[in-house]
Amino acid sequence: MPTSTAKTGAAIRLTGVTKHFAGSATAAVHPTDLAIEAGEIHGIIGFSGAGKSTLLRLVNLLERPDAGLVEVGDDELSALPPLALRAARRRIGMIFQQFNLLHNLSVAENVAFPLRIAGDSPASIKARVAECLDYVGLSAKAAAYPGQLSGGQKQRVAIARALAPNPGVLLADEPTSALDPRTTQSILDVLADINQRFGVTVLLVTHEMSVVRRLCHRVSVMDEGRIVEQIDLRTGFTAPRSELARWLFASGEASPAEATQPATVAAATSAPATAPANTSAAVPANAAARAIVVTPANAPFREVYHA
Amino acid sequence: MLENLLELTPDIITAIGETFFMLGICLTTAVTLGGALGIAVYLTAPGNPLARYRRFNLTADAIINVVRSFPFIILLVALSPFTRYIVGTSIGPLAASVPLSCAAIPYFARLVEQTLRDVPRGVIEAAEAMGASPWQIVWRVLLVDGRSGLILSTTVLAVSFLSYSAIAGVVGGGGIGDLAIRYGYYRFQTDIMAAMVVLLVVLVQLIQTTGQYLARRADKR
Repeated sequence: MPTSTAKTGAAIRLTGVTKHFAGSATAAVHPTDLAIEAGEIHGIIGFSGAGKSTLLRLVNLLERPDAGLVEVGDDELSALPPLALRAARRRIGMIFQQFNLLHNLSVAENVAFPLRIAGDSPASIKARVAECLDYVGLSAKAAAYPGQLSGGQKQRVAIARALAPNPGVLLADEPTSALDPRTTQSILDVLADINQRFGVTVLLVTHEMSVVRRLCHRVSVMDEGRIVEQIDLRTGFTAPRSELARWLFASGEASPAEATQPATVAAATSAPATAPANTSAAVPANAAARAIVVTPANAPFREVYHA
Repeated sequence: MLENLLELTPDIITAIGETFFMLGICLTTAVTLGGALGIAVYLTAPGNPLARYRRFNLTADAIINVVRSFPFIILLVALSPFTRYIVGTSIGPLAASVPLSCAAIPYFARLVEQTLRDVPRGVIEAAEAMGASPWQIVWRVLLVDGRSGLILSTTVLAVSFLSYSAIAGVVGGGGIGDLAIRYGYYRFQTDIMAAMVVLLVVLVQLIQTTGQYLARRADKR
């Protein structure tokens, strides 16, 4: 196992991370290596209890690894003291299955939350919140409370909140598992667009093969705390080798071959329907150097969402 | 009956003043110190942001339990040297406020700790993932999403200690409950006792209704 990792444009690099919860017979995550390229949408798929959420939560140290190295961008997160870790976390967005919005804060206040804790000026917060809400098509709901929104709207607010501090990386923990199929598609469109337009690296945990097919560039198949196989969905279809991967690819509605052309990959040459303009920045090599700027002209989800 | 009441009106007014005086001091110390203690115990519980301070958690938890085990009347007497040290006397409403506060602090700490457990874990985790410090989690998450529960906890605290304040008569604390005991119970003036109980019932209703109204307004769910 390599101990010193050359930083070759990897946005996220896990080296030999392990996690064993006290009182559990087996490790949640066995020694695991994972490197996510900058600008990539990477899926982690597996059954419940496979350790995929734990692996994701190791990336921003919501779970401390028992051993191993966690690097995000240029930061070695696992070595940072608390203050520096909090600063590093501000550059990593996260969304959740249950959205995790604050119920007693309005939509706008929720989106402002990460900016407030970072100590931004009120004027810049106000402008940024308006920008992000406009991007996800929820400007009209700025004064509403999360309890008044549908599941899909709540996840859009959560996405706007995650985007507000200009993260280079977005962690998504089962972001569509609480949503109906149609809403799922609209959320996947937003995630694809964020990746395409702003070059945000996305690491996504899901148990739905259809989500992987529609969104991901690469996927890691996880079973019993180990990554058993990695499949690149961009470079033509390579037959899954492991039994689990074969089972996953056989289930579901689309044939595996169709998975070789997710919308976001196709967008590198031709823009997807959801992103009419401004796609020149497709999967930039250095995702850390760009800022997420939303102008009224490129807010593609404004009309998508009403009621 | 009316004559008796009219005759005692100045005493009743004094008693109401004493009750509010004792309750005011005891609620203020309980909400500030007890609230802080409750938040600290919550934060240091296993799985929470400051779980690494396990020793503090165990110690504070034990102290809360010990103080809450005391029957209030025994605490009142047992604390009298401490009371004399703090306020210079061990009788009167001010003196009674010391043991009342000492009982109210752990009482409210426990209420706060339990109320905060209802704030969804995921929301706290989301704040941690955004880089919030433990301090920011307290002020911007726990006290925001837990606020209606905290208002209801304060209501329970106020009602309980309105009742506890009756026992303050033992150290000359006075108050409405004390008046009921002295005139109604010791002097067999049942009408005075009944009138004082009715007054307490009205006060409790008022506190409870206000608390529930404020809690409902604070809750945007």
